[in-house]
Amino acid sequence: MNSIKEYLTTDHRKCDELFAAMEHKASESLSDAKEMVQEFVNETERHFQLEERVMFEEFEQKTGMTQGPTQMMRHEHSQIRGLMKDLLDAIDENNNDKFFGTSETLMILMQQHNMKEEQMLYPMAQQHLSANSDRIVEMMDSLVVE
Amino acid sequence: MELQGLSTDQAPPLSVPIRFFITAPLFGILAGFLIFFSDTATLMNRYSTESIVITHILTIGFLGFIMLGSLTQMLPVLASAKIPKPQTTSMTSYLLLVTGSIFMFLGLLQHSSIFTTLAFLGLGSGFILILISIAMGIKTVKHFNSTVKGMAISVAFALSIVFMGLYLLYGYITHDITASHLLIANIHSVWAIFGFAGILIISVSFQVLPMFYVAPKFKQFCKNRVVYIISTGLGLWLFLNLFFENYAFIGKIWLALFFLAFATTVWIKFNKRRRPISDVTVWYWRSASIFLMLGVFLWITDEYFKHEYIVMVAILIGGGFILSIMIGMLYKIVPFLVWFHLNAMGYMSIPTMVEMIDKKLSKIQFLLFLASLIGFIFSFYYSDFLKPSALFFIISMIILEYNITQPIRLYIKTKKTKPDFDMSMFK
Repeated sequence: MNSIKEYLTTDHRKCDELFAAMEHKASESLSDAKEMVQEFVNETERHFQLEERVMFEEFEQKTGMTQGPTQMMRHEHSQIRGLMKDLLDAIDENNNDKFFGTSETLMILMQQHNMKEEQMLYPMAQQHLSANSDRIVEMMDSLVVE
Repeated sequence: MELQGLSTDQAPPLSVPIRFFITAPLFGILAGFLIFFSDTATLMNRYSTESIVITHILTIGFLGFIMLGSLTQMLPVLASAKIPKPQTTSMTSYLLLVTGSIFMFLGLLQHSSIFTTLAFLGLGSGFILILISIAMGIKTVKHFNSTVKGMAISVAFALSIVFMGLYLLYGYITHDITASHLLIANIHSVWAIFGFAGILIISVSFQVLPMFYVAPKFKQFCKNRVVYIISTGLGLWLFLNLFFENYAFIGKIWLALFFLAFATTVWIKFNKRRRPISDVTVWYWRSASIFLMLGVFLWITDEYFKHEYIVMVAILIGGGFILSIMIGMLYKIVPFLVWFHLNAMGYMSIPTMVEMIDKKLSKIQFLLFLASLIGFIFSFYYSDFLKPSALFFIISMIILEYNITQPIRLYIKTKKTKPDFDMSMFK
């Protein structure tokens, strides 16, 4: 079984791949990229829920820290969600400039966010939750997105 | 384990890096005017007062300011480094560095010991204050990656070139320019270019290229070894220069090989990048890679021309490579920071970072900058090229200042309005 850190880091790479593929498609034709954009948005939303509904909850319960790093990450998730909505709006409006302007901001924000999680939060989570690592990964694996 | 590593105050206030960024092009404009009123014969001598002043307006005022601003921004965000009192440190060192730089330029041009003494105090205290604060910030980092390690090494090089620089400046205060002065000046410049700037750019590119351009990641060998190999090369070059000068070219070749490899790697990574978008920052990275290749090649062969082309090497590497990358970085980082800070304050309906800077103007700025560099190089053969090239450079710096202050103006204007959401709960 993967560790929490490995599991979520692999999921980041999956989202990165989808992001690159979606942008590539959009550069060819914005209207044809809608499906891929939606796929990227769904996968990213799923990733956020894995964290917010499972890992963050466990982390907060174990450490008693509800106002710390997880709160900051939740806030960044909400920033990313806002940008993903703008991406979909840009497709509906067929607005090339808005789409690539948003995707640029989204990418930097997302990469910076991922780096913080991979270098700080995941190792912390792995250390505090190592005894329950298998159970938590299993819960994340079977999560149904709301 | 550090549990407060990720907090809302992680990113320093916008003013901490921004004051350095928006001052840099102003020094660029100043350098342009000095070049315009100088002549090729004077500028072809690397040790002429004008050459030294112009070089330092650009290396301290432009490159140094951008690199210091970037370090104060990136270390807390990327590595959770805690720079002590960032606001006070940034403001104090900024004022000391600006005044110190101006006194240095005036002191050298007017042969005034009073001004050079003031410059010694201002630059010495300004640099030491900010570099020691950054070093203290690095000491608090819990999870070192290759970029942070590279930043730490480049800061160590920065401190050593500052001390060498202060020694050189002291020579101007006492009017005692000895033989060792020229030797130290040479070490000071090579360590500044390859040690401070070179290592910083290489280690930051490990993060920036995959992050901003979705370019393939650097191989583990590059990330783990190259910075150490270059540092060893700089140590070897220094040792040979001091004790076996005839063999110093071995150190040069060592350094040249790795910088040529870096230039090629950047080019290849941009070819393989997965982002289809090509903006002016991509042009800057690509031109930087070409200028670095040409510059390093000329630096080696220059041995056979008895250092006749060393100023051209400085234009190619200092201007074409380092300056290009710094400008490219400004175009990315300034709009992102403005977006990031406004968004975090609850302003959601703001332009995207791409919309914050006029694309056409940034392309014109790039072309003028490129034309000025090529013009400066050809001024060696046709001195008539110098003045128009200096004019191109001045205009490109004015446009750069306008371009990067566009997002700042937006920030100031937006902050006067009411945010879309109340974010006080996150404070």
